[in-house]
Amino acid sequence: MAEKTLNPQKIREENKGKKLMMKLKRYRFIYLMLIPVVVYFLVFSYYPMLLGVVNSFREIRLLGGAAFVGWKNYQTILSSPVYSQAFVNTLIVGAGTFVLQFAWGLLLALCLNEIRRKATRSFFQTITYIPYLLSWAVVGSIWITLLSPSGLINGLLQVIQGESFRKVVFMSERSYARGIMIFTGAWKGAGYFAALFLAAIISINPTLYEAASIDGASRFQQMFCITIPAVVPTIKVVTMLGVMGMLRNFDQIFVMANSNIMDKVRNLLYLIYNEGIVQFKIGPASAAACVVLLATMVISFTVRKLIKYDQIG
Amino acid sequence: MKKLLSMILVLMLAMGAFAAMAAAEEAEAGTVRMLAAVTGGKDEEENILWAEALSEATGLNVIVEKPASDYDNILMQKLSAGESYDLIYINASQYLNLVQQGALTDLTDYIAASEILSNNVPASEWEDLKVDGRIYAGFNKRELHILVGLNRVMLEAAGIDYTQIEPTLDGYYEVFKALREANPSKDFYPFNTILSQNWDLQPWMASVGLKGGVVVDEDGQTYVPYATDAAAPVWEWLKKLYDEELLDPASFVDATKDMRNKMGAASKQTAVDVDWAAWAGLHNANAAADGVSVDEYDIVTLPGCQTPDGSYSLHKGSASLFAVPVNATNVEGAVKVLEYFATQEGGLLLTLGVEGNDYTVSDDGAYTLTEIGASHAMDHGAPVPIYTDFVNPIGLNRGLDTALQYLDYASIEKIIPNEGTYKEIVGKWGISIVKGEVDVTSGLESMRNELVTMGVCDK
Repeated sequence: MAEKTLNPQKIREENKGKKLMMKLKRYRFIYLMLIPVVVYFLVFSYYPMLLGVVNSFREIRLLGGAAFVGWKNYQTILSSPVYSQAFVNTLIVGAGTFVLQFAWGLLLALCLNEIRRKATRSFFQTITYIPYLLSWAVVGSIWITLLSPSGLINGLLQVIQGESFRKVVFMSERSYARGIMIFTGAWKGAGYFAALFLAAIISINPTLYEAASIDGASRFQQMFCITIPAVVPTIKVVTMLGVMGMLRNFDQIFVMANSNIMDKVRNLLYLIYNEGIVQFKIGPASAAACVVLLATMVISFTVRKLIKYDQIG
Repeated sequence: MKKLLSMILVLMLAMGAFAAMAAAEEAEAGTVRMLAAVTGGKDEEENILWAEALSEATGLNVIVEKPASDYDNILMQKLSAGESYDLIYINASQYLNLVQQGALTDLTDYIAASEILSNNVPASEWEDLKVDGRIYAGFNKRELHILVGLNRVMLEAAGIDYTQIEPTLDGYYEVFKALREANPSKDFYPFNTILSQNWDLQPWMASVGLKGGVVVDEDGQTYVPYATDAAAPVWEWLKKLYDEELLDPASFVDATKDMRNKMGAASKQTAVDVDWAAWAGLHNANAAADGVSVDEYDIVTLPGCQTPDGSYSLHKGSASLFAVPVNATNVEGAVKVLEYFATQEGGLLLTLGVEGNDYTVSDDGAYTLTEIGASHAMDHGAPVPIYTDFVNPIGLNRGLDTALQYLDYASIEKIIPNEGTYKEIVGKWGISIVKGEVDVTSGLESMRNELVTMGVCDK
């Protein structure tokens, strides 16, 4: 009779399996409740995403079959000067908007924090937050009107420069195009970032300020030595949110761009819309969407590493 | 467990059978599903009435789906999802893209077999739709032309009789100068045209004998006439207008609705524009609806500059169409609807709207618009229907009758799949030339190069 040998590794694995089964049994209702959420994401997020990846390798007819074309769609978009330009525009406008919005939001939050009267602070916070709640159709129209030849900006410039002033068509100036997109994008979103920063600032222990004050620290010293270090975790979250959304701007360009400035501001999502929806070229549009997805992942992971996102503080 | 599975299976089979029966019933009743953008009722309620009227007239069960907005998106999503429609509304550029994808039913034989479609629609209109000799759609309306619109009252106040305007670039320049002198306000500009959308230079390019869009030369090579050196005098003329503040600088960024607002009786911020013939009538009808008299506001039309051979050259709109997707279940029914659109009765439904709602007919046969009908300005998809002999019993809007006299000078541009790219490039470099950012020679050279690089034309 062969002697039965004990294998500690096997025993550990068996125990692990038993524990897992016990946990599954114990929390079965929680897992059951998770099912709708999982199904929702599978159906509405992952399935379309997977379909997009599959479509990027196919030549698709709107009605009818689809043929596998390998990397052809990717070759098409990567060799296209329009896509290259759109990628550059996406990065410049996206990064520019994020940086300005970040700085603007932080500054706003610091300023709002200095307002001692709660009602006044709430009033200004609401005022600065409202643009974030408005759609780009509204915000875009506001800025197009403000910057139009008969708009407020030209009116002010005319008052300053007198009758000799020649109206500037800001929205047709190619050299201003990206700047306008960056500025208006940051204007719209600064209030949102400010709200996030302010929530972090308000939660700082007030005794720290009292102690600093007793030690003779000025308001600026308190701001740089207490406030900003305390909001670093929020800064990291905001940075990650901003970076992940950097390549996803569509509405602004759709509403605000015109043919004279289009090649300066046209971004990848706008191009995908044009190829896929307007011209029914679903294959190349899907390939471009996959490139955006990949680029977002690469940028997000890189920034995550750079800012040491997982480290607290 | 087996019992449960069997029950589910039986239930699914039963549901499938019911669905098949319902579909068969629909097909038997001759259901036609339409996806429309501009055709139909002006709101959801009227759209139902409109579909009922169409159903009654054709003996079909017509279901008209008319998205409130974002039509192109919805069309694409529905088609790519495999949803079945018997008629879909498309423009000329979409037509070509969908034909290339094999998504549309070839209607050539249906049209040849239909007396109504063959006789009631001008043969030239069918010719414009042919792709390799085949036709894949029918018409939503008769396309009109774009021509110069002028505010007669403002012109007369500036001492100009519009019938005496010299049909040359210099002649119009003098008109604009006179208008500027009579209206020195900083918010007023004598002339507005939507340069950013390349809209529409044909009445001016006619002066140098050029045609808009893409043209094929004797060697079979495509080119863009507006980008040739021959177009330089017109671009320089536009630059002169801009430099002398005769051209509204907002032309670089405005959309057509902005131009129309400025031309409208409520603002009168411009006195001359270039717009669809129908808009002459619509401006006047809207002004009349607001109680503005003809002595205060009156839009008249002219065909612009004469061509070097003494004629005129205008741009006719690319067709707005109804096509039958290849997955349509009732092609015959769809063709029947297209036939109805090409009749006097169908034309009434497309223009005046629904009897009893938009208009009434008295015992002596007189047509009268209701308040609702008047607010819809006789447009339920087709201000002018495709039927050759259509007679509008109410009469055309003031100004449109004169504008229609110039239709014979109009021709369509070659249909190209990348029309958007063409407009963007010509608009971009055109604006740069007009603003003086580049000189006209190098601007036109850059325009040509970019058009070739982007695959719009060969040279």
